[in-house]
Amino acid sequence: MTCYVPCVEMIQCRWCQAQNQPGATSCMTCGAPLDERDKVSDSGWREAPRLRDMTEFRFSASTCQVEGELVPVAEVNLHPQDGVYFEHHVLLWKDESVPLSSLNTGGGMKRSIGGMPHIVTVANGPGRIAFSRDAPGELVVLPLHPGMELDVREHAFLVASHSIQYSFVRIKGLVNLLHGGNGMYMDRFVTSGHPGVLMLHGNGNVLERTLRQGEKILVEPGGFLYKDSAVRMEAVQMPLKTGFMRHGMYLAEMTGPGRVGIQSMYVHHHAD
Amino acid sequence: MNTYICRYCRQPSDPNQPTCPLCGAPVDIRSHVSDTGWVEQPAIRDMARLQFGQSHCQIAGTMVPVAEFSLAPSDMIYFSHHVLLWTDPDARLGNMSMRGGWKRMMAGLPLIMVEAHGPGHVALSDNHAGEVVALPLQHGQQMWVREHRFLCATGNIGYDWNSNDVWYVTGTGDDQETHYPMGQFGDVFTARDAPGLLLLHSPGNTFIRDLHPGQSLLVQPSSLLYRDVSVRVNLHLEYPRNRGFAFWSNRWSYRNIWVRLHGPGRVAVQSVYQPPEDTEIIQRHSYATTHHW
Repeated sequence: MTCYVPCVEMIQCRWCQAQNQPGATSCMTCGAPLDERDKVSDSGWREAPRLRDMTEFRFSASTCQVEGELVPVAEVNLHPQDGVYFEHHVLLWKDESVPLSSLNTGGGMKRSIGGMPHIVTVANGPGRIAFSRDAPGELVVLPLHPGMELDVREHAFLVASHSIQYSFVRIKGLVNLLHGGNGMYMDRFVTSGHPGVLMLHGNGNVLERTLRQGEKILVEPGGFLYKDSAVRMEAVQMPLKTGFMRHGMYLAEMTGPGRVGIQSMYVHHHAD
Repeated sequence: MNTYICRYCRQPSDPNQPTCPLCGAPVDIRSHVSDTGWVEQPAIRDMARLQFGQSHCQIAGTMVPVAEFSLAPSDMIYFSHHVLLWTDPDARLGNMSMRGGWKRMMAGLPLIMVEAHGPGHVALSDNHAGEVVALPLQHGQQMWVREHRFLCATGNIGYDWNSNDVWYVTGTGDDQETHYPMGQFGDVFTARDAPGLLLLHSPGNTFIRDLHPGQSLLVQPSSLLYRDVSVRVNLHLEYPRNRGFAFWSNRWSYRNIWVRLHGPGRVAVQSVYQPPEDTEIIQRHSYATTHHW
């Protein structure tokens, strides 16, 4: 007797590369719509997928549902063995039973001086908890696989799953500190053992570009959102003078290889 | 090739394209017109391309759209430095000289414009949720734009600025304060030798209306986005009827400050605006019409 195994073609998510069941309309790993074409500009910037209202995706044994489209809310249903961490001022609501604790970030004084939140809060399952930031924008879901390292501008991080290690890195170089417009520190997320998910809030629209080895792009520092840690970021002076004092204008020069994410709504770093 | 006149940019356009190649307005939609005659400016579709000179501009995003320019070697755009989102290292950036630096600084206008010359890519975005509005200007055409709404213009569009002459003074003695509800200065753009493209960023939604000769309209001063230079503007002070209470506030905070627009010409308003402060008696003002109910 011959047994025929039906040929099932999985759908690959073009945002996070995860495999999905045939017929799925959104990715189970990042929530990206699977039935829409990628939106890529002529110069290679790709729009982050706009998550549909009430889209649900999984991480570890928990789920996350995205609600709203103008200022999206990430509502996490935590499994008893799972946890997430976040800056405490992005917490929108939670079940009373969800326990909260603090994550030891180290470098408390340095973080305070750098304008970063002193404490990162941890929520453990079981229960529901929801997060949002306070500006129109997009939720960017970045599943991280073991070995990945991602740098994120301060105050853009919304929530991360417990399997992702959190640290922060000082932006090096006096020119970068004084003119870089990205503050003193960046959040760094590292996945070592198990995969996890990192969610960011980008103001306005979010676009991503993958730079080849040695490829450069100049980005307004206020628009920088995230980058692979392999991407080098340096403040470079442009041949321009701005303002009454005719001070120099600096942009962040990103050098590949790796991904760079930007947000379209930002406060220009010299606008104050 | 068949052509049609795009109902938004008023230029001959290509009906075979999904969007107008000059202003990015969708071709295949019905016009949304309110009962009073305001035409809703449709948002430029994500990734729509606008053609100018040998170059093109692509609009990415819908919430805070990015205008991404692919500049040919012969083309140039200019813009205020704080809207620059990213550039590739090939594009040549430089300063554009401007007159009246002191006055511009006092009025809170950008002192220096930046020129970007092709070849290369440059992307610009503003920092409000809203729409990019594209205005292709024909040779000789002029357009007045409210301050801080300008995103960029192509090199063949001349830039000038002049006083709005819409103001009022509150307070007395040393506490006098001059208010400019529409801004002290307005930007004026002129297509000099050839057609060009002017891009604005409009917070919120945008609505357009054509005023007939002699027709007038009252709008919030800070909602005015652009107007044909044939449209005249003056201050209008409206005092609602006070029914016996708080008689002291009748010429104080209980009032509306408008600008009156006189046709003929096209005007556009944005749905996000900042109402003028209304806390003190107006002592003096620019030419104004007044109405007490």
